[in-house]
Amino acid sequence: MIDDPHQLSQAVSRRHFLRLAAVTGGGLALAVSLPSLAAPAEGAAPTPGTPPAPGVAPAGRSIRPPSAFLQIAENDEITVITPAVEMGQGGHTAMPMIILEELGGDWRRVTVKDAAAAAVYNNPLSGTQMTVGSFSVRGWYMDLRKVGAAAREMLVQAAALEWQVPTTECSAAQSVITHRPSGRTVSYGRVAARAATLDVPQQPVLKETASFALIGASPARLDVPAKVDGGACYGIDTVLPGMLYGAVKTCPSFGGKLKSFDAAAAAGVRGYHSTVALPDGVITLADKYWQARKALDKVTVDYDPGPLAALDSARVSALLRAGFDEPGVVARQDGDARAALAGAARVIEAVYEVPYLAHACMEPMNCTARVDAQGGEVWCSTQAPQAAQKAAAAVLNCPPERVTVHSTYLGGGFGRRGEADFVTQAVAAARAASRPVKLIWSREEDIQHDFYRPAAAIRFRAGLDAQGKLTALESNMVTASAPNFGPRPGAPLYTVGVVDTNYALPNFLVTGVNKDIGIRFGFWRSVSHSHNPFMLESFIDEVAHGVGQDPYRFRRALLQHPRGARQLKVLDLVAEKAGWERPPPGRHLGISAFEAYGSFIGTVVELSAVNKAITVHRVVTAVDCGVAVHPDNITAQLEGGMVYGLTAALRGEITIDKGAVMQSNFNNYPMLKLAEMPRFECHVVPSAQAPGGIGEPGTAPIAPALANAIFAATGTRARTLPLSKLDFTYAAVRTS
Amino acid sequence: MISIRVNGKQHEVDAEADTPLLWVLRDELNLTGTKFGCGIGLCGACTVLLDGAPMRTCVLTAAAAAGKSITTIEGLSKDRSHPVQQAWIAESVPQCGYCQSGMILTAVALLEKTPHPSDADIDAAMTNICRCGTYNRIRKAIHRAARA
Repeated sequence: MIDDPHQLSQAVSRRHFLRLAAVTGGGLALAVSLPSLAAPAEGAAPTPGTPPAPGVAPAGRSIRPPSAFLQIAENDEITVITPAVEMGQGGHTAMPMIILEELGGDWRRVTVKDAAAAAVYNNPLSGTQMTVGSFSVRGWYMDLRKVGAAAREMLVQAAALEWQVPTTECSAAQSVITHRPSGRTVSYGRVAARAATLDVPQQPVLKETASFALIGASPARLDVPAKVDGGACYGIDTVLPGMLYGAVKTCPSFGGKLKSFDAAAAAGVRGYHSTVALPDGVITLADKYWQARKALDKVTVDYDPGPLAALDSARVSALLRAGFDEPGVVARQDGDARAALAGAARVIEAVYEVPYLAHACMEPMNCTARVDAQGGEVWCSTQAPQAAQKAAAAVLNCPPERVTVHSTYLGGGFGRRGEADFVTQAVAAARAASRPVKLIWSREEDIQHDFYRPAAAIRFRAGLDAQGKLTALESNMVTASAPNFGPRPGAPLYTVGVVDTNYALPNFLVTGVNKDIGIRFGFWRSVSHSHNPFMLESFIDEVAHGVGQDPYRFRRALLQHPRGARQLKVLDLVAEKAGWERPPPGRHLGISAFEAYGSFIGTVVELSAVNKAITVHRVVTAVDCGVAVHPDNITAQLEGGMVYGLTAALRGEITIDKGAVMQSNFNNYPMLKLAEMPRFECHVVPSAQAPGGIGEPGTAPIAPALANAIFAATGTRARTLPLSKLDFTYAAVRTS
Repeated sequence: MISIRVNGKQHEVDAEADTPLLWVLRDELNLTGTKFGCGIGLCGACTVLLDGAPMRTCVLTAAAAAGKSITTIEGLSKDRSHPVQQAWIAESVPQCGYCQSGMILTAVALLEKTPHPSDADIDAAMTNICRCGTYNRIRKAIHRAARA
């Protein structure tokens, strides 16, 4: 068993590696040298619609070093070491499915283990070991199939050698190899050790997609049983012998610093151990968590409020809106949009703006850390094990490989757990106390010290000819997304969702301006698609209505070209399924459709309205996500993504006063609840294209579809979110 | 010392009287299936059954729970055989799963009181928060458990 693959030097030969694995594990630990980076799967190469991960250049054209994804024990237990963590998106099921499909392994005997922090687990598409950006299935689909197929061929070869028969007379399925002429059989586990001594086939034969048995079949999610009996272990559930518990508070205003603190009163709290100073706050340590919380309340802290102490939300909005005419970055320039606008028969202009948003993962940020003279270990819910490793190593001033990261189930990630600030804090506390520490944030700390979805604004100008045809579009975007969201080649990531539109626009100009306001920001489910499709799809709707055209048919006309074909199909499907042409009496429909993360998605919202009281009757979504690896989970992700997006559209807003976040918990940052759930229908387009993303895209289409339906019903165009700020009220009904 | 009865077993716990039951369950009894979510009784991740009624334990002191019968997710069944757990599996409800202990126990209490709940009954009872958006599957699972 390879417990610590990152300790294996890249210089170790493949054969040596495999022998080593066979000896130490008693079974097969398969490593495949994968040339996949030189030949990415069709449709999987980064395009403007499928941006690489933050701050990372696209993957290079080198051969992937050997790595272990798969272990087969003598008793036929199959362990898949998954490079994608499980935060609800289904990675712990999809990754093993892809391997086992080609392996011909028995699905009932599979268990899943999170990968350690190691470069060998870097996603082929994003180049990082981050479970973000709907990269998991997209990035690993071909590479993990090759892992499974190579292992199958090695197992078959091992059996054939044992039987002294040609491999062509053998077949493999359900973890059993059969010699067809004689009827002899042997299980994978019995030949795994021998298979591990064989060379890895460099070009294993992959199955035809038509013969897939697992992919497309929606086997039961492997993580479900542990999530109905309390057994699932999240970061917050980590227990180490002798550990202290930590509670933390940091300066409310961003950029603020700790000046001094007085912990004298905390000493009276039973179980109190110590107070650890952070650059921007304090951690109290105690024998139990509640004792640490009580002690924290008794520590008085004096902060230097920092440079943002005068900042408020009105100022943020003014800064954004003042940036429209700044030159910024030209993200896309087709034709001459400004000349076309100057000569247009009609120009329609509108400004859209969205606020900061918090992630509000159900599991508050936490980390458990143990430090020793050489390095340390951390246990945490993380989307980025290597970021956690580096953060810990930075505190300990040691090389990253001296830190072991134990990933657990994540109680929600949504991009928040790609950060490692909580790891830094926990390791600092463990070092200061010379004891293991479990640090748990309060919900208030979680809401007020997030990496927020950035506030953003776009000014659009559309030029139309005398026939009402869209001839030019200019988009001037201002946001607070740099420098964390870059650098990357091409258009800034924050423009994706506009800059890569599939609409035919002969004259198209996209500019972007970064205003690094000082509020920390990060990835929030669907990233730039959390605001750009709302803005662009609302504006397209606005233009269609402005020239008296049906919004659905107006979009259709813009997609009559080869690159628009998949989006057009999804647009047509969602319109058909939602009954676009004949809404029920008193009902109004709004539509949106676009490409995101390699998938094409469209949504129609059906609602009724009495003045500003909105009742949503139905949400219909269609998606073309290429090969549907796990159709049931696709439905779940699109529904869940819709809830995340709907919550934000209706009431999501982080506001700033005196440089600090005004919201603190679910009382003032409210969430959608079960009674508010609309009916949701999901239609998946059958496709043999390379898989697209599914965790991110579902969040994006609801806001524009809802806003467009509201316009259809009320004549009011919602150009800012949340809708609650515009005095709309919301309810859902489940029966039509 | 606080004396509490959890999953049919009596425990003497050395904790301050104002300690929320949540932290006694998690940190003293190692029953980590009960989750911390908000600390102010709004999200329901910390829900357990107190004499059969759903109770948010982040705002309930351990002392207040003394003398009552507490059921946590770990005590619902030994083998996930409770009809609500079975329905949750059949409908593949959980995504991240963090809220689901609280959801399941709230549903158990609902079905105990109202064996065949209407959608309105479910709306009224299921006020816990799920950020993954599993609500419609939760509703289906409750109806399924009611039929079982």
